[in-house]
Amino acid sequence: MLDRSILEALRDAVNAGNAGEPSGLITETNQLQTYECDGLTNFRTVPDAVVLPRSAEQVQAIVRICARHRIPFVARGSGTGLSGGALPAKGGIVISFARMNRILEIDIPNQRVVVEPGVINAHVTEAVAAHGYFYAPDPSSQSVCSIGGNVAENAGGAHCLKYGFTTTHVLGMDVVLPSGELVPFGSAAPDAPGYDLTGVFVGSEGTLGVATKIILRIVKRPETVQVLLAAFDSIHAAAQTVSDIIAAGMLPAALEMMDRLAAMASEAAVHPNYPVCEALLLVELDGPEAEVAAQMVEATELCRKNGAWEVRVAQTADERGLIWKGRKAAFAAVGRISPNYIVQDGVIPRTALPRVLEDVTRMAAEVQLRVANVFHAGDGNLHPLVLYDRAIPGQEEIALDLSERILHLCVDHGGSITGEHGVGKEKQQAMGYMFSEPDLDTMQLVRQAFDPQNLANPDKLFPRPRLCGEKTGPYTPHPLETAGIAEFF
Amino acid sequence: MDPVLSTVDGLRALVGADCIAERAGKIVVSPRTTEELAAIGRYANSNKLTIEIAGAGTKRGWGNPVGAEIVLKTTGLAGVRHHSWHDLTATVAAGTPWAVMQRALAVHNQQVALDPLWPETATVGGIIATNDSGALRLRYGSLRDLIIGMTIVLADGTIAKSGGKVVKNVAGYDLHKLMTGAFGTLGAIAEVTFRLHPISQHTATFTVSASEVTRLKPLMLAIGASHLLTEGLQLRGTSGGFHLDVQLSADPDSKQAALLRGMTENEGLELESSSNEIGQAREALLAQPDRLILKATMLPTEVPAFALEVNEKGGEFVVQSLGIMYAAFPADELSFKLAEEFRYHIGLRGGTTFLIARPPSASRAETWAFVTEGKLPEAHALMREIKRRFDPNRTLNPGRFLGGI
Repeated sequence: MLDRSILEALRDAVNAGNAGEPSGLITETNQLQTYECDGLTNFRTVPDAVVLPRSAEQVQAIVRICARHRIPFVARGSGTGLSGGALPAKGGIVISFARMNRILEIDIPNQRVVVEPGVINAHVTEAVAAHGYFYAPDPSSQSVCSIGGNVAENAGGAHCLKYGFTTTHVLGMDVVLPSGELVPFGSAAPDAPGYDLTGVFVGSEGTLGVATKIILRIVKRPETVQVLLAAFDSIHAAAQTVSDIIAAGMLPAALEMMDRLAAMASEAAVHPNYPVCEALLLVELDGPEAEVAAQMVEATELCRKNGAWEVRVAQTADERGLIWKGRKAAFAAVGRISPNYIVQDGVIPRTALPRVLEDVTRMAAEVQLRVANVFHAGDGNLHPLVLYDRAIPGQEEIALDLSERILHLCVDHGGSITGEHGVGKEKQQAMGYMFSEPDLDTMQLVRQAFDPQNLANPDKLFPRPRLCGEKTGPYTPHPLETAGIAEFF
Repeated sequence: MDPVLSTVDGLRALVGADCIAERAGKIVVSPRTTEELAAIGRYANSNKLTIEIAGAGTKRGWGNPVGAEIVLKTTGLAGVRHHSWHDLTATVAAGTPWAVMQRALAVHNQQVALDPLWPETATVGGIIATNDSGALRLRYGSLRDLIIGMTIVLADGTIAKSGGKVVKNVAGYDLHKLMTGAFGTLGAIAEVTFRLHPISQHTATFTVSASEVTRLKPLMLAIGASHLLTEGLQLRGTSGGFHLDVQLSADPDSKQAALLRGMTENEGLELESSSNEIGQAREALLAQPDRLILKATMLPTEVPAFALEVNEKGGEFVVQSLGIMYAAFPADELSFKLAEEFRYHIGLRGGTTFLIARPPSASRAETWAFVTEGKLPEAHALMREIKRRFDPNRTLNPGRFLGGI
């Protein structure tokens, strides 16, 4: 546990200038437990303290205390991450941005919004919608996830095929470095002189420092949006349609696919009236009306050509909303057909889709598990959902092993272990499968330049050296650790 | 032994005699593979020699001058390694001329959606190291949005990869973003993987002219905020007046041109069809000899005021993508002072400047490449530290970058 004097220093730092406000320091065990994990619940660590600053100055003061006493710190937005990015470090503190949630500036003519990191993703769009703009990155959790967390994970979403990821939409930021120093990255104008620190910071999963102010780019809302739903008898036919749409020179706002199991789960949960089929394809086109109308005709023809037996174009905004509701509910819906499941986030070149899915189906059958598949087909981002029952002894280990092997399969096909959820705690070891030692050592040079004391979200993102005999799976202390002979850093 | 001769000997053992030449007291070495590139770095680094990295040399005058013993030419590292056209990605060696790459990708009607300077000669690596971009940036973003993976060689010969060959990927740090615009001070770029875009099937370019820039301002901002499929937007200014170039890429049936014409007429202006390639204006501006030329960046709403300022100070300019200006000033003492004043005003409004061409008559004080001393960004100490970690011996392009990094 942290020293009393340190806790008092943290209390002073986080409450400075907040007379009359509730304290920004949490030390009660039952309250601390709220912060023991994020959306990845099979790893849990209770932090020694949680601070809820209201200003960048307070964040600086907190981080300075951490730097002086070598206390690890983990920044936390809404805690919706799926890879354990906000999992507290043992013996460390959590800096929650729940109280730094103000939109500081809206500049419509220059298409920019300046926010604090605790601002909820969807609130940015709400703030500019009346002017005909929106904030493009739309992770499924957008109604609750924070911009700070989006920046840490370089969040994507269904529409990043056309609009790009969080990194495309962050122009600059203020960052508190692990030394406590506050420095602006980038500038209001493009191409700030110097290294692209904003570029390397976005997606660094909280390991390089803490953003306290973020300049976002907003995008003009398209004149019209149309969504098409097509039912196919095989994944192969749906995947071919995706390739044909891309080859025709179209850049849809979204291209989503679900297999039979995932579509069935969604149907059961939110009744989007999906046809029962092997592969469901969802195509969203947006832009000027005439352009979209012409492309919709072409996309429909390509679906038919590849054997789609039902092609449905949503006629109203409500219909469109319902189709999307089914897609966005897919993860949670799988809970209806399986007591437990693991969400994976591999990426493959789009063309490898049919082959990889055949392999996944075979690998699942070999260990007698089911895998439901939801994917952003346009950019090859797969979300295989490995279904299992924790109550059956040994099944969780088998599921975790299968899930890791699926990631390896993605890498073997020239892809990535994560498209949008991040590495965090969950995929540390898989990083060693995707990148070589020199690649990882070079990334560590960046880490050391920013955080020589290794305090910002330590023991994440990079592979952890394994002790001899250690297995993958849910974290269990190594016997040497339990005996107090070895410790992981 | 003569140090030059001994270096030539050392390098010859690594790359073969036909890849080494001596020019004006400098050793020019042209590796053909990433491994040779790494071996050269390792040799120089361990022998405390310095390397200037050069592609075709089109932008060699950008940034601070480098006095290195070895010039490393990347032009031997050439070719499109892989074009996965179904996946809209391509991997290209850094020494490939931009246009050579684009012609190879065009076979499948695809492109890297960027219009850099001098594409016939400029190399992929040089364009990335200087983070060049043109008018298409408005629609497709800059290199940071188009590069999805990179192979780099550090000063000590370490070969490292970041990103990958898929468009969507958040595994590990994006080293390629750090390399983009780093002027070769952190590592040499060996290969790069781009995300591609289809080549627009229908493009049409128009020009609107006015004698006062204020008359073009509302139209320019309205286009930026419209639903038009604008691919490129460019404002030009000479002593003869101001011109707004608009490149649309839309199906002719969608009547975008009519829409643009309506918007133009609402402002009491006239829309003319233009056959000019939108990108040529910037090259023409930079081709003028004996000029002080600055790249200045600013917010979109500031563009008209700074356009006017350059005009009133006797300069000419091209602004692309609503905020990246190239301004050319004549080479006389008064103009230098006016250019410095312009620079100061840009800084006051949150913009940045970078000097890309200096006339021979300009003194050092007037031609500090990036920003004047004392105005370095607050993150400069961190940038120095990144350089120190990547290249502790200052082997690669020493001093070329911001604040002498």
